[in-house]
Amino acid sequence: MQREGFAEVENAVRGVLRDVLGLSAERAAAFREDTPLFGALPELDSLAVAGVLTEIEDRLGILIEDDEVDGEMLESFGALTRFAADKALG
Amino acid sequence: MIDQYDWAGGREAMLRFGPDTGPVVVAALPLFEEANRTRAFVVTILRQLAERGIAGALPELPGQGESLLPTEAATLADLRAGFAAACARFDKAYAFAVRSGALLDTQAESAGRCHLVPTTGAELVRELGRLRGLNDGNNYAGNLLSPALLTELETAMPAAARTMRFEGDARAADVKLQGAPLWRRAEPDNDPALAHLLADDIAAWVRACEA
Repeated sequence: MQREGFAEVENAVRGVLRDVLGLSAERAAAFREDTPLFGALPELDSLAVAGVLTEIEDRLGILIEDDEVDGEMLESFGALTRFAADKALG
Repeated sequence: MIDQYDWAGGREAMLRFGPDTGPVVVAALPLFEEANRTRAFVVTILRQLAERGIAGALPELPGQGESLLPTEAATLADLRAGFAAACARFDKAYAFAVRSGALLDTQAESAGRCHLVPTTGAELVRELGRLRGLNDGNNYAGNLLSPALLTELETAMPAAARTMRFEGDARAADVKLQGAPLWRRAEPDNDPALAHLLADDIAAWVRACEA
């Protein structure tokens, strides 16, 4: 059972990855929970990570502290979405 | 064509578009790294404005782009004075600023201001801090910045302006557009369709102000 609002957060994260990394709509739409991100997407370098995190903050109205950013939260699409949902939905 | 303007600290280059007469839309790019990702887009908007009969200008600001002043020597006061001097070259100027460019038009004598997704100085400083952290604390995505500039930016706010934001952005805006934030793109890109939309909107705004 997914939390209320989870699908909106997932869509927002998908939209951010598409817009920041310049992915096609098809490629972004194909992201699944276990789709690997950091280390697997050549577009996602450290500068792009900063853009992704800041844009997620803007779209979801949340604040991400730099010490919360680690490899684990960026490991997969599902991990990043869960991190954002925990922040946005509590 | 490539023109120039003089400010108290020297001479800077300025791109010019469109007719030699009438009001001029003077554009302010975002500061630092985001300028690289929006330059082609803003030039496309200014070319589209020229096709609509409205003149445009894109000044290099002190310490930015092709300026001979080192980035770490520039202060916010210099950037604002530079933009004001560029606007003063024209009988009538309208400011069009993107993102943190909205922090730079406060001292310019303009007939109106239009801001595309403006950012506050505090938001910019926070983003710069994140870039510095990701770069082992050495620099800000390749830029060396003076502590004085960062202190000035902490409290800098955009002046009142006609504000444009994207659909889905909860913050207040006069115009909501469909679009994606080019300034966040990992690789610089352009969006000619959005540039056309913006040129239509800015042209209508300038004509309404002039009427």
